[in-house]
Amino acid sequence: MFEYPERSRSRRDTIAFLVCLVLACGALFAPAPQADAMARAIRTTVLVPLIWLQTRAEEGKASRSRLAAIQAQRDSLARMAQLVPELRDENGGLRALLGLSQRLPTRFVPAEILHQSQPTDGRTLLLNVGTADGVQPFQPVVAPEGLLGVISSAESHSSIALTWAHPEFRASAYTEGDGVFGIVASSTPGASDEPLLELRGVPYRDSVPPGTLVLSSGLGGVYPHGIPLGRVIGVARELTGWERVYLVRPAANPGQAAHALVLLDGGDRAVDSAYPASGGP
Amino acid sequence: MAHRSRSRLALVILILIALQFYLRPRIWDSRVAPDFLLLALLVYATRVRPGTAAIAGFLSGLMMDALVPARFGAAALANTVIGFLAAWGRAVFFADNLLVHAGFIWAGVWLRDLIVLLASETTGRGLLWQLLIWSPLQGLTTAVAGVVVLVVFRNWLAIRLEE
Repeated sequence: MFEYPERSRSRRDTIAFLVCLVLACGALFAPAPQADAMARAIRTTVLVPLIWLQTRAEEGKASRSRLAAIQAQRDSLARMAQLVPELRDENGGLRALLGLSQRLPTRFVPAEILHQSQPTDGRTLLLNVGTADGVQPFQPVVAPEGLLGVISSAESHSSIALTWAHPEFRASAYTEGDGVFGIVASSTPGASDEPLLELRGVPYRDSVPPGTLVLSSGLGGVYPHGIPLGRVIGVARELTGWERVYLVRPAANPGQAAHALVLLDGGDRAVDSAYPASGGP
Repeated sequence: MAHRSRSRLALVILILIALQFYLRPRIWDSRVAPDFLLLALLVYATRVRPGTAAIAGFLSGLMMDALVPARFGAAALANTVIGFLAAWGRAVFFADNLLVHAGFIWAGVWLRDLIVLLASETTGRGLLWQLLIWSPLQGLTTAVAGVVVLVVFRNWLAIRLEE
Protein backbone atom coordinates (compact mmCIF):
# COMPACT_ATOMS: atom_id res chain seq x y z
CA MET A 1 0.00 0.00 0.00
CA PHE A 2 2.88 2.35 0.85
CA GLU A 3 5.18 1.01 -1.80
CA TYR A 4 5.41 4.12 -4.01
CA PRO A 5 4.51 7.13 -1.83
CA GLU A 6 6.82 9.55 -3.70
CA ARG A 7 5.54 8.47 -7.10
CA SER A 8 1.97 8.92 -5.88
CA ARG A 9 2.68 12.44 -4.62
CA SER A 10 4.49 13.27 -7.82
CA ARG A 11 1.46 12.11 -9.82
CA ARG A 12 -0.80 14.31 -7.69
CA ASP A 13 1.50 17.27 -8.35
CA THR A 14 1.33 16.68 -12.08
CA ILE A 15 -2.47 16.37 -11.97
CA ALA A 16 -2.77 19.61 -9.98
CA PHE A 17 -0.49 21.36 -12.47
CA LEU A 18 -2.48 20.09 -15.45
CA VAL A 19 -5.81 21.05 -13.87
CA CYS A 20 -4.50 24.59 -13.21
CA LEU A 21 -3.18 24.78 -16.79
CA VAL A 22 -6.56 23.73 -18.19
CA LEU A 23 -8.38 26.26 -15.98
CA ALA A 24 -5.97 29.04 -17.01
CA CYS A 25 -6.44 28.18 -20.69
CA GLY A 26 -10.21 28.11 -20.10
CA ALA A 27 -10.00 31.64 -18.64
CA LEU A 28 -7.78 32.72 -21.54
CA PHE A 29 -10.25 31.60 -24.17
CA ALA A 30 -13.44 32.41 -22.24
CA PRO A 31 -15.88 34.78 -24.01
CA ALA A 32 -15.31 38.43 -23.10
CA PRO A 33 -18.52 38.85 -21.01
CA GLN A 34 -17.66 35.82 -18.86
CA ALA A 35 -14.03 36.95 -18.48
CA ASP A 36 -15.19 40.45 -17.48
CA ALA A 37 -17.62 38.98 -14.96
CA MET A 38 -14.89 36.85 -13.39
CA ALA A 39 -12.48 39.80 -13.23
CA ARG A 40 -15.16 42.00 -11.70
CA ALA A 41 -16.05 39.34 -9.12
CA ILE A 42 -12.42 39.11 -8.02
CA ARG A 43 -11.98 42.90 -7.93
CA THR A 44 -15.10 43.41 -5.82
CA THR A 45 -14.22 40.72 -3.26
CA VAL A 46 -10.67 39.61 -2.46
CA LEU A 47 -8.97 42.57 -4.13
CA VAL A 48 -10.96 45.33 -2.40
CA PRO A 49 -8.48 45.78 0.50
CA LEU A 50 -5.49 45.65 -1.87
CA ILE A 51 -6.97 48.26 -4.23
CA TRP A 52 -7.75 50.39 -1.17
CA LEU A 53 -4.12 50.02 -0.04
CA GLN A 54 -2.77 51.01 -3.45
CA THR A 55 -5.12 54.01 -3.60
CA ARG A 56 -3.76 55.20 -0.25
CA ALA A 57 -0.21 54.75 -1.57
CA GLU A 58 -0.96 56.81 -4.69
CA GLU A 59 -2.58 59.50 -2.56
CA GLY A 60 0.43 59.54 -0.24
CA LYS A 61 2.74 59.89 -3.23
CA ALA A 62 0.82 62.90 -4.49
CA SER A 63 0.10 64.40 -1.06
CA ARG A 64 3.25 66.55 -0.83
CA SER A 65 2.64 68.34 -4.12
CA ARG A 66 -1.07 68.59 -3.29
CA LEU A 67 -0.32 70.19 0.06
CA ALA A 68 1.87 72.82 -1.59
CA ALA A 69 -0.81 73.49 -4.20
CA ILE A 70 -3.55 73.74 -1.57
CA GLN A 71 -1.48 76.17 0.51
CA ALA A 72 -0.84 78.31 -2.54
CA GLN A 73 -4.53 78.25 -3.42
CA ARG A 74 -5.54 79.16 0.13
CA ASP A 75 -3.13 82.11 0.15
CA SER A 76 -4.46 83.32 -3.17
CA LEU A 77 -8.14 82.83 -2.43
CA ALA A 78 -8.49 85.64 0.10
CA ARG A 79 -7.03 88.12 -2.34
CA MET A 80 -8.90 86.73 -5.33
CA ALA A 81 -12.26 86.85 -3.56
CA GLN A 82 -12.15 90.64 -3.64
CA LEU A 83 -11.30 90.80 -7.33
CA VAL A 84 -13.29 87.97 -8.90
CA PRO A 85 -15.14 89.84 -11.70
CA GLU A 86 -12.04 91.76 -12.80
CA LEU A 87 -9.87 88.67 -12.60
CA ARG A 88 -12.33 86.62 -14.63
CA ASP A 89 -12.29 89.15 -17.46
CA GLU A 90 -8.54 89.51 -17.29
CA ASN A 91 -8.06 85.73 -17.19
CA GLY A 92 -10.24 85.23 -20.26
CA GLY A 93 -8.34 87.94 -22.12
CA LEU A 94 -4.94 86.54 -21.21
CA ARG A 95 -5.95 82.99 -22.11
CA ALA A 96 -7.17 84.16 -25.49
CA LEU A 97 -3.99 86.20 -25.99
CA LEU A 98 -1.69 83.29 -25.10
CA GLY A 99 -3.79 80.59 -26.80
CA LEU A 100 -4.15 78.70 -23.55
CA SER A 101 -6.85 76.12 -23.03
CA GLN A 102 -10.14 76.77 -21.25
CA ARG A 103 -11.63 74.69 -18.49
CA LEU A 104 -13.28 71.47 -19.55
CA PRO A 105 -16.85 72.41 -20.53
CA THR A 106 -18.19 69.12 -19.25
CA ARG A 107 -18.60 67.37 -15.91
CA PHE A 108 -15.63 65.24 -14.97
CA VAL A 109 -14.15 63.32 -12.06
CA PRO A 110 -10.37 63.18 -11.41
CA ALA A 111 -8.88 59.71 -11.00
CA GLU A 112 -5.61 58.20 -9.87
CA ILE A 113 -4.22 55.51 -12.15
CA LEU A 114 -3.17 52.41 -10.19
CA HIS A 115 -0.42 50.86 -12.29
CA GLN A 116 0.31 47.14 -11.98
CA SER A 117 3.41 45.01 -12.56
CA GLN A 118 2.07 43.15 -15.60
CA PRO A 119 3.78 43.86 -18.94
CA THR A 120 0.31 44.41 -20.44
CA ASP A 121 -0.43 47.23 -17.97
CA GLY A 122 -1.17 50.19 -20.25
CA ARG A 123 -3.64 48.31 -22.44
CA THR A 124 -6.07 48.51 -19.55
CA LEU A 125 -5.81 50.81 -16.53
CA LEU A 126 -7.19 50.39 -13.04
CA LEU A 127 -8.69 53.68 -11.78
CA ASN A 128 -9.56 54.53 -8.18
CA VAL A 129 -13.00 55.96 -9.04
CA GLY A 130 -16.17 54.00 -9.66
CA THR A 131 -19.94 54.14 -9.80
CA ALA A 132 -20.02 55.89 -6.40
CA ASP A 133 -18.28 58.83 -8.13
CA GLY A 134 -20.64 58.75 -11.12
CA VAL A 135 -18.38 56.68 -13.36
CA GLN A 136 -20.14 54.40 -15.86
CA PRO A 137 -18.98 52.23 -18.77
CA PHE A 138 -18.33 54.03 -22.08
CA GLN A 139 -17.27 57.31 -20.48
CA PRO A 140 -14.07 58.75 -22.01
CA VAL A 141 -10.84 58.94 -19.99
CA VAL A 142 -8.51 61.82 -20.85
CA ALA A 143 -5.13 63.16 -19.79
CA PRO A 144 -3.95 66.78 -20.20
CA GLU A 145 -2.22 65.71 -23.43
CA GLY A 146 -5.17 63.90 -25.00
CA LEU A 147 -7.31 60.78 -25.04
CA LEU A 148 -6.30 57.78 -22.91
CA GLY A 149 -9.27 55.49 -23.48
CA VAL A 150 -12.75 54.61 -22.31
CA ILE A 151 -14.23 53.03 -19.20
CA SER A 152 -14.92 49.37 -19.92
CA SER A 153 -16.27 48.33 -16.52
CA ALA A 154 -17.00 50.08 -13.26
CA GLU A 155 -17.44 48.87 -9.70
CA SER A 156 -18.40 51.02 -6.72
CA HIS A 157 -14.93 52.40 -5.95
CA SER A 158 -12.79 51.29 -8.88
CA SER A 159 -13.06 50.97 -12.62
CA ILE A 160 -11.18 49.59 -15.60
CA ALA A 161 -10.33 51.77 -18.59
CA LEU A 162 -9.59 50.23 -21.96
CA THR A 163 -6.86 52.40 -23.48
CA TRP A 164 -5.91 53.18 -27.07
CA ALA A 165 -3.12 50.57 -26.77
CA HIS A 166 -5.71 47.79 -26.52
CA PRO A 167 -6.28 45.86 -29.78
CA GLU A 168 -10.05 46.42 -29.49
CA PHE A 169 -9.82 50.23 -29.23
CA ARG A 170 -11.53 52.22 -32.01
CA ALA A 171 -12.41 55.94 -32.23
CA SER A 172 -13.85 58.02 -35.01
CA ALA A 173 -11.40 60.83 -35.82
CA TYR A 174 -10.63 63.69 -38.16
CA THR A 175 -7.51 65.63 -39.00
CA GLU A 176 -7.09 69.27 -38.12
CA GLY A 177 -7.01 71.51 -41.14
CA ASP A 178 -8.29 69.47 -44.07
CA GLY A 179 -10.80 67.60 -41.92
CA VAL A 180 -10.08 64.15 -43.31
CA PHE A 181 -12.14 61.54 -41.46
CA GLY A 182 -11.07 58.05 -40.48
CA ILE A 183 -11.03 55.47 -37.72
CA VAL A 184 -8.19 55.45 -35.20
CA ALA A 185 -7.09 52.06 -33.85
CA SER A 186 -4.07 50.58 -32.11
CA SER A 187 -1.20 49.98 -34.53
CA THR A 188 -0.52 46.51 -35.93
CA PRO A 189 1.97 44.72 -33.62
CA GLY A 190 5.50 44.75 -34.92
CA ALA A 191 5.14 47.96 -36.89
CA SER A 192 7.28 49.88 -34.41
CA ASP A 193 9.21 49.50 -31.16
CA GLU A 194 6.91 52.09 -29.57
CA PRO A 195 3.14 51.72 -29.30
CA LEU A 196 1.50 53.76 -32.05
CA LEU A 197 -1.96 54.38 -33.43
CA GLU A 198 -3.24 54.02 -36.98
CA LEU A 199 -5.62 56.34 -38.80
CA ARG A 200 -7.51 53.93 -41.03
CA GLY A 201 -10.06 54.34 -43.78
CA VAL A 202 -8.64 57.57 -45.24
CA PRO A 203 -9.73 57.81 -48.90
CA TYR A 204 -6.85 57.36 -51.36
CA ARG A 205 -7.46 60.80 -52.89
CA ASP A 206 -6.82 62.52 -49.54
CA SER A 207 -3.30 62.89 -48.25
CA VAL A 208 -2.41 63.85 -44.71
CA PRO A 209 1.00 65.49 -44.18
CA PRO A 210 3.21 64.40 -41.25
CA GLY A 211 2.65 66.47 -38.13
CA THR A 212 -1.08 66.87 -38.67
CA LEU A 213 -3.05 66.72 -35.43
CA VAL A 214 -5.69 63.96 -35.24
CA LEU A 215 -8.72 64.67 -33.04
CA SER A 216 -11.79 62.73 -32.00
CA SER A 217 -14.71 63.58 -34.28
CA GLY A 218 -17.53 63.03 -31.78
CA LEU A 219 -19.27 60.61 -34.16
CA GLY A 220 -20.58 57.53 -32.43
CA GLY A 221 -21.41 59.34 -29.22
CA VAL A 222 -18.68 57.82 -27.01
CA TYR A 223 -15.83 60.34 -27.36
CA PRO A 224 -16.64 64.06 -27.46
CA HIS A 225 -15.53 66.20 -30.38
CA GLY A 226 -12.05 67.69 -30.14
CA ILE A 227 -9.90 65.43 -27.94
CA PRO A 228 -6.35 65.14 -29.36
CA LEU A 229 -5.45 61.56 -30.28
CA GLY A 230 -2.00 62.18 -31.72
CA ARG A 231 -0.02 63.46 -34.67
CA VAL A 232 0.50 61.80 -38.04
CA ILE A 233 4.08 60.59 -38.56
CA GLY A 234 3.74 58.93 -41.97
CA VAL A 235 1.99 56.37 -44.15
CA ALA A 236 1.81 52.89 -42.63
CA ARG A 237 0.45 51.12 -45.71
CA GLU A 238 -1.94 51.71 -48.57
CA LEU A 239 -4.44 49.70 -50.49
CA THR A 240 -3.86 50.91 -54.03
CA GLY A 241 -6.72 53.01 -55.32
CA TRP A 242 -8.79 52.52 -52.22
CA GLU A 243 -7.44 53.82 -48.89
CA ARG A 244 -4.35 54.87 -47.00
CA VAL A 245 -3.51 53.97 -43.42
CA TYR A 246 -1.44 56.54 -41.52
CA LEU A 247 0.74 56.00 -38.47
CA VAL A 248 -0.09 58.33 -35.59
CA ARG A 249 2.12 59.07 -32.58
CA PRO A 250 -0.30 59.11 -29.61
CA ALA A 251 -0.78 62.33 -27.66
CA ALA A 252 -1.05 60.67 -24.24
CA ASN A 253 0.90 57.71 -22.86
CA PRO A 254 -1.21 55.39 -20.66
CA GLY A 255 1.89 53.58 -19.37
CA GLN A 256 3.29 56.78 -17.86
CA ALA A 257 0.14 58.70 -16.90
CA ALA A 258 -0.45 58.99 -13.15
CA HIS A 259 -3.71 60.96 -13.17
CA ALA A 260 -6.65 61.14 -15.54
CA LEU A 261 -10.09 62.71 -15.88
CA VAL A 262 -13.21 60.66 -16.54
CA LEU A 263 -15.72 62.73 -18.56
CA LEU A 264 -19.11 62.07 -17.00
CA ASP A 265 -21.15 63.51 -19.87
CA GLY A 266 -19.65 61.01 -22.31
CA GLY A 267 -19.57 62.22 -25.88
CA ASP A 268 -22.41 64.71 -25.52
CA ARG A 269 -20.38 67.92 -25.23
CA ALA A 270 -17.44 69.02 -27.38
CA VAL A 271 -14.22 69.71 -25.47
CA ASP A 272 -12.18 71.51 -28.16
CA SER A 273 -11.77 74.59 -25.99
CA ALA A 274 -10.06 72.60 -23.23
CA TYR A 275 -7.13 71.66 -25.43
CA PRO A 276 -4.64 74.20 -26.83
CA ALA A 277 -4.89 74.97 -30.52
CA SER A 278 -2.48 73.13 -32.78
CA GLY A 279 0.90 74.76 -32.87
CA GLY A 280 2.32 72.67 -35.69
CA PRO A 281 4.30 69.42 -35.52
CA MET B 1 7.38 23.68 15.03
CA ALA B 2 5.94 23.14 11.56
CA HIS B 3 2.99 25.33 12.49
CA ARG B 4 5.37 28.12 13.58
CA SER B 5 7.32 27.79 10.34
CA ARG B 6 4.12 28.01 8.28
CA SER B 7 2.99 31.08 10.23
CA ARG B 8 6.29 32.81 9.56
CA LEU B 9 6.12 31.97 5.86
CA ALA B 10 2.57 33.34 5.74
CA LEU B 11 3.72 36.54 7.45
CA VAL B 12 6.56 37.03 4.96
CA ILE B 13 4.11 36.56 2.07
CA LEU B 14 1.66 39.03 3.63
CA ILE B 15 4.48 41.57 3.97
CA LEU B 16 5.40 41.06 0.29
CA ILE B 17 1.76 41.53 -0.79
CA ALA B 18 1.57 44.73 1.27
CA LEU B 19 4.81 45.95 -0.34
CA GLN B 20 3.37 45.22 -3.81
CA PHE B 21 0.34 47.40 -3.22
CA TYR B 22 1.80 50.06 -0.91
CA LEU B 23 5.51 50.48 -1.61
CA ARG B 24 5.60 49.66 -5.32
CA PRO B 25 3.26 52.50 -6.43
CA ARG B 26 5.61 54.96 -4.68
CA ILE B 27 8.62 53.80 -6.68
CA TRP B 28 9.51 56.07 -9.58
CA ASP B 29 9.02 53.91 -12.70
CA SER B 30 6.42 51.17 -12.32
CA ARG B 31 7.77 49.25 -15.34
CA VAL B 32 11.06 48.44 -13.60
CA ALA B 33 9.82 48.45 -10.00
CA PRO B 34 10.22 45.06 -8.27
CA ASP B 35 7.30 42.67 -8.59
CA PHE B 36 6.75 41.67 -4.96
CA LEU B 37 3.74 39.50 -5.84
CA LEU B 38 5.82 37.26 -8.11
CA LEU B 39 8.54 37.26 -5.45
CA ALA B 40 5.95 36.05 -2.90
CA LEU B 41 4.94 33.28 -5.30
CA LEU B 42 8.58 32.20 -5.79
CA VAL B 43 9.31 32.27 -2.05
CA TYR B 44 6.21 30.14 -1.43
CA ALA B 45 6.82 27.82 -4.39
CA THR B 46 10.31 26.90 -3.24
CA ARG B 47 8.91 25.69 0.08
CA VAL B 48 6.01 23.55 -1.05
CA ARG B 49 5.37 20.70 -3.47
CA PRO B 50 5.05 21.52 -7.20
CA GLY B 51 1.30 20.82 -7.25
CA THR B 52 0.63 23.23 -4.39
CA ALA B 53 2.89 25.81 -6.04
CA ALA B 54 0.97 25.48 -9.31
CA ILE B 55 -2.32 26.12 -7.49
CA ALA B 56 -0.81 29.15 -5.71
CA GLY B 57 0.48 30.41 -9.06
CA PHE B 58 -2.92 29.98 -10.66
CA LEU B 59 -4.68 31.93 -7.87
CA SER B 60 -2.11 34.76 -7.78
CA GLY B 61 -2.29 34.95 -11.58
CA LEU B 62 -6.07 35.32 -11.44
CA MET B 63 -5.59 38.22 -9.03
CA MET B 64 -3.26 39.96 -11.48
CA ASP B 65 -5.63 39.22 -14.37
CA ALA B 66 -8.46 40.92 -12.49
CA LEU B 67 -6.30 44.03 -12.05
CA VAL B 68 -5.03 44.10 -15.65
CA PRO B 69 -7.76 42.38 -17.71
CA ALA B 70 -6.09 43.17 -21.06
CA ARG B 71 -6.13 39.40 -21.68
CA PHE B 72 -7.85 37.57 -18.82
CA GLY B 73 -6.11 34.27 -18.03
CA ALA B 74 -2.66 35.23 -19.34
CA ALA B 75 -1.17 35.85 -15.89
CA ALA B 76 -2.93 32.78 -14.45
CA LEU B 77 -1.29 30.64 -17.14
CA ALA B 78 2.11 32.27 -16.63
CA ASN B 79 2.09 32.07 -12.82
CA THR B 80 0.90 28.44 -12.89
CA VAL B 81 3.92 27.52 -15.01
CA ILE B 82 6.29 29.68 -12.93
CA GLY B 83 5.03 28.24 -9.64
CA PHE B 84 5.32 24.65 -10.81
CA LEU B 85 8.77 25.14 -12.38
CA ALA B 86 10.06 27.01 -9.31
CA ALA B 87 8.99 24.21 -6.95
CA TRP B 88 10.30 21.55 -9.31
CA GLY B 89 13.56 23.43 -9.89
CA ARG B 90 14.12 23.86 -6.20
CA ALA B 91 13.70 20.12 -5.68
CA VAL B 92 16.19 19.37 -8.46
CA PHE B 93 18.89 22.01 -7.85
CA PHE B 94 18.55 22.27 -4.06
CA ALA B 95 20.78 25.35 -3.80
CA ASP B 96 21.01 27.80 -0.91
CA ASN B 97 23.22 30.27 -2.70
CA LEU B 98 22.22 33.92 -2.91
CA LEU B 99 23.36 34.29 -6.51
CA VAL B 100 21.42 31.19 -7.56
CA HIS B 101 18.34 32.57 -5.80
CA ALA B 102 18.79 35.93 -7.57
CA GLY B 103 19.15 34.22 -10.94
CA PHE B 104 16.13 32.09 -10.17
CA ILE B 105 14.01 35.18 -9.46
CA TRP B 106 15.32 37.06 -12.50
CA ALA B 107 14.48 34.11 -14.76
CA GLY B 108 11.04 33.83 -13.17
CA VAL B 109 10.18 37.46 -13.97
CA TRP B 110 11.47 37.16 -17.53
CA LEU B 111 9.64 33.90 -18.20
CA ARG B 112 6.42 35.29 -16.69
CA ASP B 113 6.62 38.31 -19.01
CA LEU B 114 7.33 36.08 -22.02
CA ILE B 115 4.27 33.89 -21.36
CA VAL B 116 1.98 36.87 -20.59
CA LEU B 117 3.05 38.72 -23.73
CA LEU B 118 2.70 35.68 -25.99
CA ALA B 119 -0.70 34.82 -24.48
CA SER B 120 -1.71 38.47 -25.06
CA GLU B 121 -0.70 38.12 -28.72
CA THR B 122 2.07 40.71 -28.48
CA THR B 123 4.49 40.24 -31.38
CA GLY B 124 7.21 42.00 -33.33
CA ARG B 125 9.34 44.83 -32.00
CA GLY B 126 7.02 45.51 -29.08
CA LEU B 127 7.67 41.99 -27.78
CA LEU B 128 11.44 42.26 -28.30
CA TRP B 129 11.59 45.71 -26.69
CA GLN B 130 9.76 44.42 -23.61
CA LEU B 131 11.78 41.20 -23.34
CA LEU B 132 15.18 42.75 -24.01
CA ILE B 133 14.84 45.99 -22.06
CA TRP B 134 12.02 46.23 -19.54
CA SER B 135 11.71 42.60 -18.41
CA PRO B 136 15.45 42.20 -17.64
CA LEU B 137 15.41 45.48 -15.71
CA GLN B 138 12.34 44.46 -13.73
CA GLY B 139 13.90 41.03 -13.19
CA LEU B 140 17.01 42.73 -11.83
CA THR B 141 15.14 44.93 -9.35
CA THR B 142 12.97 41.98 -8.29
CA ALA B 143 16.08 39.82 -7.81
CA VAL B 144 17.71 42.52 -5.64
CA ALA B 145 14.50 42.82 -3.58
CA GLY B 146 14.41 39.01 -3.34
CA VAL B 147 17.99 38.83 -2.04
CA VAL B 148 17.19 41.47 0.59
CA VAL B 149 14.08 39.53 1.67
CA LEU B 150 16.03 36.25 1.88
CA VAL B 151 18.82 37.84 3.92
CA VAL B 152 16.45 39.68 6.27
CA PHE B 153 14.14 36.70 6.79
CA ARG B 154 16.69 33.87 6.46
CA ASN B 155 15.94 32.57 9.94
CA TRP B 156 12.20 32.64 9.42
CA LEU B 157 12.49 30.98 6.01
CA ALA B 158 15.01 28.42 7.33
CA ILE B 159 17.61 29.26 4.70
CA ARG B 160 21.23 28.32 5.23
CA LEU B 161 22.94 30.67 2.86
CA GLU B 162 26.33 29.63 1.52
CA GLU B 163 29.21 32.03 2.09
